[in-house]
Amino acid sequence: MKIEAIVGSNKKLSYNRKLLQFMKDHFADDEININEVKDFPMFNENYPEGEEAHDPELITELAKRIEAADAVIIGCPEYNHSVPSALKSAIEWLSYRIHPLHGKPVMIVGASIHPQGSSRSQTHLREILDSPGVFAEVFPGNEFFLGTAKKAFTDDGELINQGTVGFLEQCFTGFKKYAEEINDFKKVK
Amino acid sequence: MKLVAIVGTNADFSYNRKLLEYMKWHFRTAAEIEVLEVKQLPPFNEDLPYSEQTEVWRFNNKVNTADGVIIATPEYDHSIPAALKSGLEWLSYKHKTMKEKPVMIVGVSYGTQGTSRAQQQLRQMLLSPDLNSDVLPGSEVLIGNAAKTFDKNGFVTDINIVHNLEDSFAAFNKFVKSNMRYLEEGDVNMAQPNISSEAKVQFRTGSLKIKEIQQIFNTLPFEIDFIDATDHFSFYSDKPDREHVRYPNEIGETVEECHPPKALPGVRAILDSFKLGTQDHVERCLPLNGHKVWINYFAVRDENGRYLGTMEFTGNVGHLVNLVKDGKFDGFPDATSGASKHDDDAEATGPAAADTEADATTGASEHDEEKEDKTE
Ligand SMILES: Cc1cc2nc3c(=O)[nH]c(=O)nc-3n(C[C@H](O)[C@H](O)[C@H](O)COP(=O)(O)O)c2cc1C
Ligand SMILES: Cc1cc2nc3c(=O)[nH]c(=O)nc-3n(C[C@H](O)[C@H](O)[C@H](O)COP(=O)(O)O)c2cc1C
Repeated sequence: MKIEAIVGSNKKLSYNRKLLQFMKDHFADDEININEVKDFPMFNENYPEGEEAHDPELITELAKRIEAADAVIIGCPEYNHSVPSALKSAIEWLSYRIHPLHGKPVMIVGASIHPQGSSRSQTHLREILDSPGVFAEVFPGNEFFLGTAKKAFTDDGELINQGTVGFLEQCFTGFKKYAEEINDFKKVK
Repeated sequence: MKLVAIVGTNADFSYNRKLLEYMKWHFRTAAEIEVLEVKQLPPFNEDLPYSEQTEVWRFNNKVNTADGVIIATPEYDHSIPAALKSGLEWLSYKHKTMKEKPVMIVGVSYGTQGTSRAQQQLRQMLLSPDLNSDVLPGSEVLIGNAAKTFDKNGFVTDINIVHNLEDSFAAFNKFVKSNMRYLEEGDVNMAQPNISSEAKVQFRTGSLKIKEIQQIFNTLPFEIDFIDATDHFSFYSDKPDREHVRYPNEIGETVEECHPPKALPGVRAILDSFKLGTQDHVERCLPLNGHKVWINYFAVRDENGRYLGTMEFTGNVGHLVNLVKDGKFDGFPDATSGASKHDDDAEATGPAAADTEADATTGASEHDEEKEDKTE
């Protein structure tokens, strides 16, 4: 399966990036491509300043990749019990003039340095992805929270806890099945 | 009252900006409202060098010095716009500018929901530990159908919305004032400097916060009173169930004022002997309200022996007496052989006893009896 993964952090050292990188390596049978939000400009209806407003090129390129993919995975950090502005801004771009996430199967995963592992942020992200401008097909249940992320990885980027790996495999397998069903349904329609 | 109002969008044209400009005008007699933009802030990024954070610093300062904050949020994808979220991240990151800051949320949307979902999420964000704001409860300003809300001069055209804004602002006004500590303590210009309860006192053997000192005094199983070097009653510990009940308005009284005339000569004699240095400790055993009350007066001195005041150390020792009666100390080594005993004695010996080294090792109990005699 062809999957576009989005790192929801603009930080150089990001545990959510590590998590997505682990998934890419661990689920090597599928093609997971990692995308960054860190180079996108802040969403602004009037972007770019002084010109006729249009979407940034980096965004239209990402949109094309998402449209060509079977599914999307978002690695979502938690800032102030919600989605970081860097990720929110990317979603705003993807819900304004273009809507590449419309009907796209999306899996949410998240890492946080605190024990809750971005649970509150993921709830907000679900609400956001469910809004009419985005209209994504968010994989229900299967909440993957990676808490105390500082201690979760080996130096080689492996997840240390095998129970966590097992649960991630279970979520991912379920998600692929879900994505296939959604995509088949869209073809029939 | 000084408020800042944050426009929750970076868009050139914004109904939420219009709403704040309207509020600034409409509530001009109640508050000075400065409208702040998030537009000029760099997008939040932990890796941004500090030297590029001038606007962030300015923004933090403005919010920090305001008595309260109004946030006008648009709704983007059922949440707040990233540009506003980024501003909040800056306010929460490192500085904790929003801590206990009174916040009023308002919002205008193009559709009918009036930013209801965005406001819900915004409330949750503001209550997270890093923002930790005091969000005005109850009052909601949810304005839908933005395009029909303002006339060409920026006035709100719907009287119901005007009333909603006025009611909510009145609630916020009250809410902010209850948060403005200096109003309780008097005029800003008359405010007295004070030491916070977090301040630490450094001793040779460690440090304690002011708050810790207070609570240690209050937790001691003995109550403590202090008469300062000028014979004024200056402190008592706030222990629950004190044997001697004292009241705050007695603080500052002279020894004469706070003792009955009959007791005064005895008290005077003790204080005089402490000042002279003829003794450092006087004790009394008193039955009081059915308690076995042990009262101790200690001379408190500085490192040069100068008299700083008298500490009264009082407590109900009924429990100790029972322990002794029950034989809990039976068979313990005799006090005469204890090292601590030696210390007690060394302290108690007067100038005349300086050459009687051998005497210093005699029993503390003897010495105590001697004192008891004196005080009877
Ligand atoms: C402004 C700010 C707010 C944060 N708020 C939260 C929070 O509400 N809950 C939480 O679990 N972690 C919070 N964190 C800590 C993040 O979990 C931590 O920075 C984590 O590493 C972010 O994910 P990343 O490593 O992928 O960037 C916050 C961090 C920042 C900078
Ligand atoms: C990316 C984007 C997402 C939006 N999502 C919502 C939404 O979820 N709900 C809503 O009521 N309006 C939504 N709107 C429309 C806004 O309500 C409208 O643009 C409004 O004028 C924004 O407030 P402002 O005028 O202060 O900028 C969205 C607009 C944008 C640009």
